[in-house]
Amino acid sequence: MTSVKDNQTPSLDEISQTLAKMVADKMDINVATIKPESTLEELGLDSLDTFDLIFNAEDHFHIKVPNDQVNISTLQDVSTLVQRLIVEQQ
Amino acid sequence: MMDGSSQQRVVITGLSVVSPLGNTIVDLTRNVFAGVSGIKRLDTSFVDQLDCKIAAQAQFNPADHFSKYAYSILDRTSQMAVHTSIEAIKHANLEISDTLKQRMGIYLGTGMGGAHSIEEGYVRLYKEGLNRLKPFTVLMSMNNAAASAVALEHQITGPNQTFCTACSSSAVAIGEASRLIRHGYADVMLAGGAESLLTFGTIKAWEALRTLAEEDATDASRSSKPFSADRTGLVLGEGSAMLVLETYEHASARGATIYAEIIGYGSANDSNHITQPTANGQATTIYAALADAGLAAESIQYINAHGTATKLNDATETEAIKNVFGAHAYKLSVSSTKSMHGHLMGAAGALEAVISILALQNNKLPPTINLENPDPECDLDYVPNVAKKVPQLDYVMSNSFAFGGTGASLILKKIAK
Repeated sequence: MTSVKDNQTPSLDEISQTLAKMVADKMDINVATIKPESTLEELGLDSLDTFDLIFNAEDHFHIKVPNDQVNISTLQDVSTLVQRLIVEQQ
Repeated sequence: MMDGSSQQRVVITGLSVVSPLGNTIVDLTRNVFAGVSGIKRLDTSFVDQLDCKIAAQAQFNPADHFSKYAYSILDRTSQMAVHTSIEAIKHANLEISDTLKQRMGIYLGTGMGGAHSIEEGYVRLYKEGLNRLKPFTVLMSMNNAAASAVALEHQITGPNQTFCTACSSSAVAIGEASRLIRHGYADVMLAGGAESLLTFGTIKAWEALRTLAEEDATDASRSSKPFSADRTGLVLGEGSAMLVLETYEHASARGATIYAEIIGYGSANDSNHITQPTANGQATTIYAALADAGLAAESIQYINAHGTATKLNDATETEAIKNVFGAHAYKLSVSSTKSMHGHLMGAAGALEAVISILALQNNKLPPTINLENPDPECDLDYVPNVAKKVPQLDYVMSNSFAFGGTGASLILKKIAK
């Protein structure tokens, strides 16, 4: 996973792939089984695991996810949120 | 049976360890009676920055026992505790039914809880200059994390408490768990200790206390020298020891192998000084255990001593034993197995309780190794250097004392097969 540099907003697809890898690594599951529409719950993440995923995403994408925006259900939701915050916080 | 007035016999039916002398009871038994040392140069990245470069590490790799997901949210202390709890239940051949879950709990001792996780957090903040911590930091470092991880693992819903009395933590945990069972508040308890504090910051803090052993000039493994005239201090260790305690009734009904009975537990505080023990304070703890057992002092045949190898403890403990046992002090045997496994701090009492049970089982006394130059102030039989076979061992005592003052003494009895 290469780090995100300034002025290079990654595509939703790229963000999604990076997040899928993070989930696979954390949950010890095959990345191929992870689909964008998978809910985090289906993937085995509880609320704390979700915070941990957001924490890692914040580090990787150099963003800060506000506390009132962590209500997310699917991996797609996380990707969309991350992309929006990259643009807003660049 | 919940009113606290019943008197149940409390027996030990399962044992497990992660220790500098091995991670199975078979390995521990072989090593502790062969006088093997688990102390050596610390295998870690920061060893060159230490004044005291020796420790008693446990060879424990969490990936051998857990999924990455499971172990990555547990401090090393909790990983060890969960592992020993699983193995102790296996050793006890105990099936935890839904009914039993409600009558089974965990009492655990630890001195510093999630020391690695706390330190990792500080490194991020103060060394790496980052300004936020990982989401699991609190949950991994809190002192009750290990016991709670054990309760979650086995889905047991009885009492879950963590005892934090420094070096006597896990002896207290075992003693208090035995009382819980004795008085009918639980049928089965996991009881023990876990400690993993061999971090840069923790070792530096211990160095500052000037209480750590100097490395032996010729052989690092011989640096812990309890009761010896040339003893220089304690050697820090890590590990976990877990026991399955249950009522005699419950154990008998399921046909369990009984390794020993806990017949006495005493605890008292040495309110002399934050670190300096007194013979009177230690004797009070020992008397309390004898009174609890209703046992004549002359019945005790072997004492697994606290025996830290500090100047003060070993002389004081010897005096305390003489105060309590009088002439019998010279007939019983005392040994400090810390000469081999180092000082496991919050897990020390539990490991030494396990070793005391192995002594009962084998009619054999583990030695105090590195005892070549007896200290005139320490003039008891410390089972110097080699284990001693005895015809019949029935009553043993395991003593733990602590910085802060909390003493704990356990009396274990062999059950006739």
